[in-house]
Amino acid sequence: MAEVSAGKVARLAVLFERYHRPLFRYFVSMNGNREQAEDLVQEVFFRMLRYRTSYDPAQSFTAWMYQIARNAGVDQVRKRGTAQVVDIDTFVDRRAELVSASPGPEESVSRGQDLALLRRAMDQLPEDKREILVLSRFQGMKHEDIAEVLGCEVGTVKVRVYRAIRALEQIYFTLEKEKAS
Amino acid sequence: MTCEEAKTRMTDYWSRTLGEAGETEFNAHLASCETCRSEVSRVGALWQGLDLLPLEEPSGKVRDRFYEMLGAYRQGLAAAEARPAKRWWTIPAWQMAAAAGLVAVGLGIGYGVRGNGPLFGGAPAEVSQLREEVANMRQLVALSLMQQQSASDRLRGVSWAYRAEPSDREVLGALVSAVNHDANVNVRLAAVDALRRFSASPETGRAALQSLSKQTTPIVQVALIDLLVDLKDPQAAPELRRLSGNETANEGVRQKAQWALERLQ
Repeated sequence: MAEVSAGKVARLAVLFERYHRPLFRYFVSMNGNREQAEDLVQEVFFRMLRYRTSYDPAQSFTAWMYQIARNAGVDQVRKRGTAQVVDIDTFVDRRAELVSASPGPEESVSRGQDLALLRRAMDQLPEDKREILVLSRFQGMKHEDIAEVLGCEVGTVKVRVYRAIRALEQIYFTLEKEKAS
Repeated sequence: MTCEEAKTRMTDYWSRTLGEAGETEFNAHLASCETCRSEVSRVGALWQGLDLLPLEEPSGKVRDRFYEMLGAYRQGLAAAEARPAKRWWTIPAWQMAAAAGLVAVGLGIGYGVRGNGPLFGGAPAEVSQLREEVANMRQLVALSLMQQQSASDRLRGVSWAYRAEPSDREVLGALVSAVNHDANVNVRLAAVDALRRFSASPETGRAALQSLSKQTTPIVQVALIDLLVDLKDPQAAPELRRLSGNETANEGVRQKAQWALERLQ
């Protein structure tokens, strides 16, 4: 990104190839809409070009990118006018739409866990917990980078990730009991 | 290590990011704490299970749209960089002119204070540069929006095309592409209307004519015929004649083609 910032904009293609899939998955995890997620990926790279001179090479690129991604997500909700409250909570509250009615073959019981149930549990997770779990577990981000994105301390991130996985566990076992009964 | 400390390190433990010393310390705590051991095992299985959730894959359109956007942006930058790099105030001739101009500025201030006349005329080179940058940005916004998946965004892109320079071939090309290929009839109609902005270009008439032979939606065909009449393009006559005589064509379109033929003669 430092090279892009210095004017070699063609180098953005390298970043696109490396990050467009993780970004797409982040957006799908947050709002559950593939079409919107693709629009948002485009928007993030557009904003990277637009604000490329604001990038500080001393800063983590991943953190910078996800800050842009979060803002783009919030702006999209605002633009579409589909939410009453315009904030990250609203943005991430779309995930529930993605819940599949029936599990696919790949979602059969594995390692003693029902993956369809696990996905449903993720969907039911409160948005702030879901987001921090997505960033740490699916995006493979370091706690330091997540702290930068969320604007909090690293210790807070660790505690919040722990609480998120515990909350997921509770939802998962509740769903499992419902299924069994 | 306390149980509270262990809890905040569990995710690092599952991700194997504790480091050797940290892992040894953590394992020592687990060996002495049945509660944490059970939790690490139980919740850890769920943590690992998240790996098994299927990954969503974006469609190929994402890549196409990105490279189109990047290409448009680079083109805009190249145009901006093609301007002389030397600042006008570093050129000796301008420096001399500026010195002489200071006197005129003094006089100008005098007039300005007394009356409503402009104090400064502005630096034409900078104004021109600024204008070009604005044009590049408008072009970029129009092109970028016209690539969006959402029809409402593409409509916004078409409306941005009105702000592009009438000589902007990139935007003209994007509009023609929208007229020919956009899945949404409203976007196609809006793009036909926006083509009027580029009526000075001979490509506009040619593109409208070619598009007319491809279109199957009557309302878009009628809009294209109107455009060809406005452009006063005599080369449209053969196609209009063919259309007016085509019995399989929509009756309204045939009548419109006949009307256009009379107007163009």
